[in-house]
Amino acid sequence: MNYKKYRFFLALLGISILLCGKGFAQESPSSSSASGAEKPTLVQAAMCASLKEGSPCNPGAVFPVSQGKVLCFSSFDPVPRKTSIFHSWFHRDVLITRQKLTLNSPRWSTYSTIQLRESDKGPWRVEITDQDARLLEVLRFSITD
Amino acid sequence: MDFLLHFFQAVKWQDLLDIALNSYILFRLYVLFRGTSAFRVLVGVAIFWIFNKLALSLGLVVTSWVIQGITLVAAVIIVVIFRNEIRSVLQAKNLRSILWGFPQSAEQAPAEAIADALFEMAHSRTGALLILPGKEDLSEVVHSGIPWQGLVSREMIMTIFWRDNPVHDGAAVVRGRRIDEVGVILPLSHRDDLPSFYGTRHRAALGLAERSDALVLAVSEERGTVSAARNSQMHEVKSKQDLLEILEKHAGATTAWGRTKRDKLEYGLAAVLSVFLIIGVWSTFTRGVDTVISMDIPVEYTNRPADMEILDTSVNAVRLEISGSGTLLRRIQPDQVSVKLDLSKGVPGSNPFPVTPESVSLPPGVLLKDVKPPAVDVTLDTTVKKELSVQVDWVGKLQDPLLIAQVKTDPLKVRVSGPARALSTLSAVYTEKVSVDQISRSGTLSARLVPSPPSLKLSPDKVTIEYIVKERTP
Repeated sequence: MNYKKYRFFLALLGISILLCGKGFAQESPSSSSASGAEKPTLVQAAMCASLKEGSPCNPGAVFPVSQGKVLCFSSFDPVPRKTSIFHSWFHRDVLITRQKLTLNSPRWSTYSTIQLRESDKGPWRVEITDQDARLLEVLRFSITD
Repeated sequence: MDFLLHFFQAVKWQDLLDIALNSYILFRLYVLFRGTSAFRVLVGVAIFWIFNKLALSLGLVVTSWVIQGITLVAAVIIVVIFRNEIRSVLQAKNLRSILWGFPQSAEQAPAEAIADALFEMAHSRTGALLILPGKEDLSEVVHSGIPWQGLVSREMIMTIFWRDNPVHDGAAVVRGRRIDEVGVILPLSHRDDLPSFYGTRHRAALGLAERSDALVLAVSEERGTVSAARNSQMHEVKSKQDLLEILEKHAGATTAWGRTKRDKLEYGLAAVLSVFLIIGVWSTFTRGVDTVISMDIPVEYTNRPADMEILDTSVNAVRLEISGSGTLLRRIQPDQVSVKLDLSKGVPGSNPFPVTPESVSLPPGVLLKDVKPPAVDVTLDTTVKKELSVQVDWVGKLQDPLLIAQVKTDPLKVRVSGPARALSTLSAVYTEKVSVDQISRSGTLSARLVPSPPSLKLSPDKVTIEYIVKERTP
């Protein structure tokens, strides 16, 4: 009689332990997601005049206006899941354009570009931010004659 | 009556002091130069000045110009011609007598003794030449005097001009009760209308009378007569009584320095006239409100709270409309006018500060009519400190096929302090323009940082730039 009574409580205890263990196992990945494990990691960022085989060609810090355009290249690895980043172009602290770029898993390279005009001469910067407006990188360059 | 009431309501203590000081200066000039030729000419110049003003008020432009020109030339001539007289007035007196002393009575020459001696010598046909100076200085006119300093007496005069006396040929100068100098050489008159019997002694007497206000008495040894020369005129003195009258008249002119009742009355009148004259001049200069002018005056800010910066102002200068007499406004200098706004009650953000009459400083006698704009909007902001990245402001054209691949500044960031609002929009501090024209290989250079807005304070304000140059790949 007593054994039967205890067997019921032991079964309840066992189920509870099992449920708790499963609960902890499920919580672990979600907490790691909150700490940024699912955020894309920027591995390369550069200003360049063109791309060659998916890589920046002649990355630099000073570009002549005569080259017509300038690119901001950024490469992410890993990209845990599909997400977006932003390239914000500033000319002397004035926001000129903000371009939204999509990143696909598992790794992704992307770029934004602007056409250059005579009035674009001067110091520039591009801020690379993620979806949460977290600043990932600031690239500074100048447009000259 | 209304004028007086208005006058006493409008004047400030500075105005009263102004009038009092200038009235006293004018009165002192009168006291010092009274009786001299320079003073008489000065009065003439003053009359010219009044005529000039009168001509101007009547619209006689050419007449006014001519009188103005004459007055100016006369003022210069006075200084040149009467320099000795002016010098003698100023040099002969100490500071006390110049500032507040009154001339003391000069001793009168003993006329009786002089008259006795001269007629005695005329009777004995002994030549003599006696000078009784007036107000004017004789030092530039007469020469070679020998100091004598003897009390005047009949015997003393006769001794000096006694034939065997070595100094009997020259003239003797009588000042007060003393014979000051003897053997004095006088300038001769060059007039050709003089009687032929006038010898050298008479020509000398007239020469000095032509050039000064002195009384010169001459005794002719040939004719045994006494002659008196004064103001370019010479005449024979017939009797001792006539000579006494001449001497007393001359003494009356020269001893007007005495503070007799008449003198006191004259000084009092001069003092009152000085005050009225200065009030008149002062009123002409300061009280007229016939002219209005505009001036753009930069606004100055005072008492700015220590933790705040001026971020912006609606205007840099305000236009003041001021009125006053034309004379005063024509002489006004921009540095005599200021507009100061007290920022002690300012708060972060926009602050409209009215430009009140208290915040406008004007020279005395000038009135403020209007201010445009009536208020200045001052944007204040708290001062904050921040670290900002440094960015190089490259300019010029880099040689082909070179490329500046990498740029690094040392330090990477600088400390910036300035208005919070201005700093909130800044993410970088830029260098001065750095040319790439001469860059052909990697290297370093230094450049100053340019604070923008200029109110920012940077530390440090100079950076080193390290750059890597590569060749562009095709």
